[in-house]
Amino acid sequence: MEAKKTPVIGLPRAMLYFRYRTLWHAFFDELGIQTVVSGPTDRAVLEQGSARAIDEACLSLKIYLGHVEALCGKCDYILVPRVSSFGRHRNMCTRFEALPDLVKNIFRESGQKFLSYDLDVLQKKDEASAFQALGQTLGCSPRAVRKAYKAAEKTEQAQYKGLVREQEQLYRAEGLKILIAAHSYVIEDPYIGKTVTAYLKGAGVTPIRADLVDRDDALRHSLELSPTCKWEISREIVGSIAMHCGKVDGIILLSAFPCGPDSMVNELIARRVKRVPMLNLVLDSQSGTAGIETRLESFIDIIRFKEGQL
Amino acid sequence: MDDMFMRKISFPRYAEYNCAFRYIFEEAMDVRCIQPPAITKRTMELGAKYSPEFVCTPFKITLGSMIEALEAGANTLLMVHGLCRLGYYGELQEQILSDLGYRFDFINLSEYDMGKKKEYIKIAKRINPKLHLAKFAAKFMEALRMVEYLDEITAEYYRNCGFDATGGQYKAAYQRFITALYTAHTRADIEDAYRAVRQSFQTIPLNKPLRPLRVGIVGEFYTVMDAFSNLELEQKLADMGVELYRWMTVTHQFLHYSSQKNMGVKIRDLCTYEMGPTATANIWYARECAERGFDGLVHVKSAGCTPEIDVMPVLQTIGADYKIPVLYLTYDSQTSDVGLMTRLEAFYDMIEMRKKVL
Repeated sequence: MEAKKTPVIGLPRAMLYFRYRTLWHAFFDELGIQTVVSGPTDRAVLEQGSARAIDEACLSLKIYLGHVEALCGKCDYILVPRVSSFGRHRNMCTRFEALPDLVKNIFRESGQKFLSYDLDVLQKKDEASAFQALGQTLGCSPRAVRKAYKAAEKTEQAQYKGLVREQEQLYRAEGLKILIAAHSYVIEDPYIGKTVTAYLKGAGVTPIRADLVDRDDALRHSLELSPTCKWEISREIVGSIAMHCGKVDGIILLSAFPCGPDSMVNELIARRVKRVPMLNLVLDSQSGTAGIETRLESFIDIIRFKEGQL
Repeated sequence: MDDMFMRKISFPRYAEYNCAFRYIFEEAMDVRCIQPPAITKRTMELGAKYSPEFVCTPFKITLGSMIEALEAGANTLLMVHGLCRLGYYGELQEQILSDLGYRFDFINLSEYDMGKKKEYIKIAKRINPKLHLAKFAAKFMEALRMVEYLDEITAEYYRNCGFDATGGQYKAAYQRFITALYTAHTRADIEDAYRAVRQSFQTIPLNKPLRPLRVGIVGEFYTVMDAFSNLELEQKLADMGVELYRWMTVTHQFLHYSSQKNMGVKIRDLCTYEMGPTATANIWYARECAERGFDGLVHVKSAGCTPEIDVMPVLQTIGADYKIPVLYLTYDSQTSDVGLMTRLEAFYDMIEMRKKVL
């Protein structure tokens, strides 16, 4: 490889991509580094990922591995970050901690190179320093990296605020409103979560995403519902439910089989949040949507019946 | 809870470590300890019945054990904290048990900042407000000594028990030792039990070949140690005539090697970062066994254990690089004894044949 050629970074469209895409794209754009994103999830991606994964792994990981596979050979590096913690009682599922090494071991025959950054605030590695290290391994000057990160972070915050505002408006919408509690990479994935929101919209219901919420507020409110919950994303969702459960007609707990944090947190939510109809929907790798549609339909019927609209 | 209430504390069954918990509660803290009954199929079924469906198996077993402890008269339950889902066990178990209608005091270590020493005293004072601190500290250390002895003797037991020439004396000596630990009241009791078992182990004749089959055991923290949870995997393998080695013990993980700072050095090429609470130790030990020419590895985990599922690809790498057979065992609440036996026999036959050929 010539010294001057800038590398192309592959971003798998799965897992934390949905949380960090604005930040990642803005950061690499600022540095003038080209990125390539894998296509939307489809049956083939899931099947390829499942073939690579340990059987028991969660659906989200299988999808992720499918996206990594799709990017193999199409870029110089694939970005697989390690995101471990944001502070005390602000951890991520251990899967995000293991992801870089997991991918490295699974794809070690492919010859593909991977790129990572280590975000672990408990070990004194915050986001700024993680991106600093990432940029410098790509051969950019420390100053340029610092500038790029600052700009990217600003873009991300502005964009996220807009998203939150949009969701806040939905709580005032007319008609049936259903809060969907799901990780962003479940609900935004076109192959699994999108089918749920699409069906709800088709049935004349306003789906509202619990995960798009002011994060600091949500973290604070999560303590009301679950004082020792320690997963960052779960806490955001739990906090959002605590903040909004009075403003919606129903809640759908949507998770990918068998999500570790969700297996426990959703049980706790179901036991502690009363007076709101709740549906616990677990998505697996089955291809048909008829089963999900039946359950959603009956859930909507129950809410309408309860509110005397049926 | 009122002031006059007499605390009867319990901790779910966890391998044989309950002897140390009992020692801490009764000798160091002066509160009654209710020992939950040994885990049986009923414990498992009780736990599974009230647990969320796809939570990891130790959650179900400990929940079942807590119910049995409450049935046995406990009015206080203790749950530890942890870095994986274990850190959330306490809150959910407390909720499930109180939804079932049980009334009890629940001490959940996840509510405390366990990084600080002060918190330990706060917890001890909560368990017994009249706690004598100096005595507590001294007796607590004795309990830790008990854990060290227990792990040391257990390790030696599984290295040798498959070669007992007397047909049962080795096992009997080990069981006497365990019983002695459960009934120990003083430092002298612990030391006596340790000396007695050491002496027995030295005098009981063993019929061990010069180069026996050696198998390393790695895996998830609860299932790999708890004989009920892993269906006595170690005893079964040892009885076939295998020397067993397992690094994962409370002594190693928490007492001798708690930070594990230097453990990652030797496996940097396999994993750049720490992959999970027990991942570094397991990967390190698996490679250590492979490098020392062990005949096989067994990886033990409960169904759905996220960190250990993530370790498996690395173990597959080790297996491929060192040509060492790895048996992956996953335990859920359905796992049957016969199924396990079939797999172990096949594994044993395979590593035995390999040893003859290679």
